[in-house]
Amino acid sequence: MGDRVIEVRRLRKSYGGVERLHGISFSVECGEVFGFLGTNGAGKTTTIEILEGYRARDGGEVSVLGTDPARAGRDWRNRIGLVLQESELNPVYTVRETVAMFSRYFRRPTDLDGTIMSAGLADKAGERVGRLSGGERRRVDVAIGLVGDPEVLFLDEPTTGLDPAARRGMWALIEGLRRAGKTVFLTTHYMEEAQRLADRIVILQAGAIAAQGTAEQLSRSLGHATRISFLAPPQIGLAQVSAAVGTRVEQDGRWLGFRSDQAQRDLTALLGWAAEHSVELTDIRVSPPTLDDVFVQLAASPGDAHDDSS
Amino acid sequence: MSDAALAAAQARYALKGFLREPRTFVFTVILPLFLLVILNGIFRGRSSFFRMRVPFAVYYTPAIISYQIMLAGYSSLLIAVTAERERGMLKRLRGTPMPSWIFLTGEIIRTTVVVAVTVVVLVAVGSGVYHVPIQAHTVIGLAVYTVAGTACMCALGLASTRACATTEAASVAGPFVTLILGFISGVFIPVSIMPTWMLDVGKLFPLEHVARGLQQAFAVPGSTGITAIDLAALAAWGAAGIVTALVSFRWEPHDNW
Repeated sequence: MGDRVIEVRRLRKSYGGVERLHGISFSVECGEVFGFLGTNGAGKTTTIEILEGYRARDGGEVSVLGTDPARAGRDWRNRIGLVLQESELNPVYTVRETVAMFSRYFRRPTDLDGTIMSAGLADKAGERVGRLSGGERRRVDVAIGLVGDPEVLFLDEPTTGLDPAARRGMWALIEGLRRAGKTVFLTTHYMEEAQRLADRIVILQAGAIAAQGTAEQLSRSLGHATRISFLAPPQIGLAQVSAAVGTRVEQDGRWLGFRSDQAQRDLTALLGWAAEHSVELTDIRVSPPTLDDVFVQLAASPGDAHDDSS
Repeated sequence: MSDAALAAAQARYALKGFLREPRTFVFTVILPLFLLVILNGIFRGRSSFFRMRVPFAVYYTPAIISYQIMLAGYSSLLIAVTAERERGMLKRLRGTPMPSWIFLTGEIIRTTVVVAVTVVVLVAVGSGVYHVPIQAHTVIGLAVYTVAGTACMCALGLASTRACATTEAASVAGPFVTLILGFISGVFIPVSIMPTWMLDVGKLFPLEHVARGLQQAFAVPGSTGITAIDLAALAAWGAAGIVTALVSFRWEPHDNW
């Protein structure tokens, strides 16, 4: 086991006779932020709820902090922190009252005000939960997850439904946890989020692990997915642009775009061609691969970056 | 923190939340007071009760107290626990080291405190404003039926949460069931003018036994109103409630069932 906080081997789970998790295996090391990435319905929440001790598994072995969550008791619960996907808080209590109540449940709670401050809620401590924004409420969830000073924190889609500013705030909070050396199990369906925060990433697709590795390893193997697009300039044909960048450019409504595995080279070619021909390109976008792109990529090259046995 | 201290802290926390919620406060604390004042305003003089002529206030004060025991004990607990379940709070609590029974104990203590305080207020208004005599036998009957009635209603409240898929459903079901039982148990209409068959139906449910027992403690000189049949009915309903709750209670929101 060594420094492994979470160890999952051939985990299986069925609902109503249909198998949803097809024997997945992975492990999480102490002090890392582990990104568990997948679309809705891939099995992320089923997996995290088995790890949290909420659901029974149908097969395989699971160990969290050296204990089987299905048999874990009060001692084990003192060592884990949970941020569930969909749960509200009673709006009539203040932030401080809510976090304080949860801190009483744990044997060795952290400093209450310190936890509220590190969750970025210092100036909201006296505010009722019902008056908070969506992003602030999610921060209260994180404060509740941290108040027992857990050895591992489970974060189930902490940024789903948040606006971009609140999402960046949550990212900063999770980066702070990583710097503090917390082990974090993070589920998300945002590729960007996993790549930004996670030391290692597992991509779950339809109940099986489609790819895993560090963010860099995944980026390298999935490098083709960078998308370059711009508004179609008037009187310029697809063929002309395709010839300039040396790859097939596709039209999507008013947009022209193409995928690139060498974004810098292809952008230089595109911009050089535009300058030479006095074509004005507007709204140029360079988009990192999305999870959808990754799945397209994985489907196209099943042998590459595919590893669900280790 | 010991489990007992944690249950007490949980109860204080629940009570604080209860007092901050205007809707439950109005329906559980203000409404019964209004009922007492309105019913005593409508009916003047005396009512027949078990071949006696008793002042209406002596009939209605214990009747509204019994109603209050069901409203605060059954309905408000049903709504509060269903709301916490649907918020995902019960699921979240299951993920903490706190044993689940401590949460429920805290809610039951909160409910009992609310019942006790409002019953004292109703007795004080009945005695102070409507000159309802309060004697030793009245106090004994009041204490026994308040404790037995609240315990029975709490068990039934927890047992009913499974039937309520949403907080809205609980907010309708709790007061609705309480109101219907109030009518067929002779809480609002004097038993002397109710049809016998309806009273017989009422006797099948626990509220009738709390109402009749308390009314005897208030109206019959020297009687505590405590009868084996009333206590047995409350015990049977309470036991059925506990068993149903143990078998059917859900900690996760309805979406996850």
